[in-house]
Amino acid sequence: MTSKVKTTPEVLKPQQLPGRLPFWRLWLPLLFQTGIILAAPAQPFYTQLTGKTAILQTVPVDPYDPLRGYSQTLSYDISQVNNLQELPGWQELTQHNNEPAVNDVPAGTNLYVTLEAPTSNTTPPSAWIPVRVSRDRPQNLTANQVAIKGKVTGNSIVYGLETYYMPEAQRDDINQSIAQAQRDQQRFVVEVKVDNQGRAVPISLWVDRRNYRF
Amino acid sequence: MTSDKFRHQLRHEAQIWQAEGLINDLQYEQLSQRYQFNTLDSTASHSFIAILVGLGSILIGLGIITFVAANWQELPRGGKVTLLLSLFIGVNIVGFWLWKHANESRQRLGHGLLLLGALILGANMGLMGQIFHIDAPFYELLLAWGIGVLAMAYSLRLTSLGVLSIILLWLGYWGYWGSAIAQSWSTSTIAEISWSSIMGQHMPLLSAVLFMPLAYWCRSGWIFALGAIAIVTSLEANIQPFVWGTFQKGWVASIAFALPPALLWSYDDSFLVYGNFLRLYRHRDRHINVGSFQPIARNLALFTLGILFIFAATTTFWQSLAQYTEYVTSRQVNQLLLIDAVILTGIAIGQWVLIASQRYRRRQQNVITMVVGIFICIIATVTFWHIEVTNISPYATFIFNIMLFLFAAGLIRIGLDKGGRRAFWGGMLLLSLRIFYVFLLSATGLLFKSLVFILCGIGVMAVGLWFERHIRLNHPAKS
Repeated sequence: MTSKVKTTPEVLKPQQLPGRLPFWRLWLPLLFQTGIILAAPAQPFYTQLTGKTAILQTVPVDPYDPLRGYSQTLSYDISQVNNLQELPGWQELTQHNNEPAVNDVPAGTNLYVTLEAPTSNTTPPSAWIPVRVSRDRPQNLTANQVAIKGKVTGNSIVYGLETYYMPEAQRDDINQSIAQAQRDQQRFVVEVKVDNQGRAVPISLWVDRRNYRF
Repeated sequence: MTSDKFRHQLRHEAQIWQAEGLINDLQYEQLSQRYQFNTLDSTASHSFIAILVGLGSILIGLGIITFVAANWQELPRGGKVTLLLSLFIGVNIVGFWLWKHANESRQRLGHGLLLLGALILGANMGLMGQIFHIDAPFYELLLAWGIGVLAMAYSLRLTSLGVLSIILLWLGYWGYWGSAIAQSWSTSTIAEISWSSIMGQHMPLLSAVLFMPLAYWCRSGWIFALGAIAIVTSLEANIQPFVWGTFQKGWVASIAFALPPALLWSYDDSFLVYGNFLRLYRHRDRHINVGSFQPIARNLALFTLGILFIFAATTTFWQSLAQYTEYVTSRQVNQLLLIDAVILTGIAIGQWVLIASQRYRRRQQNVITMVVGIFICIIATVTFWHIEVTNISPYATFIFNIMLFLFAAGLIRIGLDKGGRRAFWGGMLLLSLRIFYVFLLSATGLLFKSLVFILCGIGVMAVGLWFERHIRLNHPAKS
């Protein structure tokens, strides 16, 4: 349709001569790519090494991710706004400004939920109990408490613990036992590790008496 | 680039000329040298093998990615990480080493392995996400993966990796866009400011900065075309809330419709191609002429015009523009999204000023450029008027139908003139689609339709007869 008149016809595309390329042309981008691979898990890895274990009460749904396989999307008791509303400290989060707010808390607010270990030590472990909500990270935690960092979204609170990947081979088995546990009102909890910054990673899944650790 | 098809034809013709005595053996040799007839037969089989090797690499890569997704538990976690990371580094090193080899078949295999390495990069990232149950959206993985592959494409100057990285980034962009749209419908307005959202919001500029230099660096029309498509599509998607939504602004809608053809048609890389800009890389291979990508850009510009006309020639299009949609609940919108549109508009205007200041172009090019320029001005003005001043749906539809007709007729004419099949069929397709729409889908009365067809028929005949007369009078040689 449109073409320039060329005074010389174009010569063929030349064979590139990769033979002369120095080796750094490979290892430099390779290093960069390796950096990309390691960048994402650096934070959770640190959390897993240094974190303190806590147990959360859970509810699931399950999707599929083409690169990471089957996963459970999890939601927790402390993801529900109405479970946190009763706690001391909720009032300090409420703000009256023009942002659309869920129960007076603006979306996007960061909060810390302090969880306390239950007194009895059972198997499966029972869920830790939320005792306080605060805007800033609590400094005076006792030995049996952790503070976990969350963010208020549209209608729930997210903690970065919402996705749990599991092996394809055990997927049906796990889903069945979860469904069973929910029917029979059995215990269904997730064991997480929380570091001193309030960041958490999921470690294993307790469905009634069975523990799935991947 | 001289196409293989043309060279095949030329060789065939040249052999006949030689047999008929039109050219002597020396001239045939010169032609053969110039167009490298000797490589013709090997090229086909070589590219066939290259395609097979590439396809094989992609399949193996998909196999490894799926292996990761299966989350096979027989191997412990550390074993999987070690295996995949060493596979990633090993495949890349072996690929690079083979690719540097002088032997062409090894080079091809090395190229395939480098492609495989790029896919294993994605598998590794997926594995890390899986092991640590990382809760990031899938599109973030795609964006990061695309950036990684892009670095390798720049470093090794490999077109195939460049294309892969554009595809990855583009898919990642659409993932981002989908989630942004979903977010705007939910009640939360504060979207996280993360690296991925910034990338998504400024994808048009980012595509220009990342892909265009790569196209010249690899001398690849494919990368240029895909990069241009990425720029235009991401721009349109990003400013969509200002065009159809409650934040509708006339000037943004004008930009949305007029900018793609304006930007692409006025694209001019002659200073790059014929200037001293690339002298750096041309002293090695001075005989190489870095092809200009202007024809690709112009074809894409015509393509965007065609798409726009097809949609904008219907009344529905203008009426939907005039209606305010009410389902967008968010009370604020990110004004930063407009930055890219404004910057690209500035670039387009600058390019048109340059075109206007150049006088040495051939006349026909000038005529076409003028027509395209007028089209673009009309598109922008009508859109702005329709939204900002008063609803002019019927007039706008009429104007755009006229433009569609002229555009299609122009394409057909150019196609016949230069033997360009694509232009001819493009014009025919446009006209056919429009007629098909009027006849089958539009909800007007049959009487009106019949009137439209009769008038159109008379008009087409009149134009044809006038044109023939015009040719007879002005260009007696041609008739």
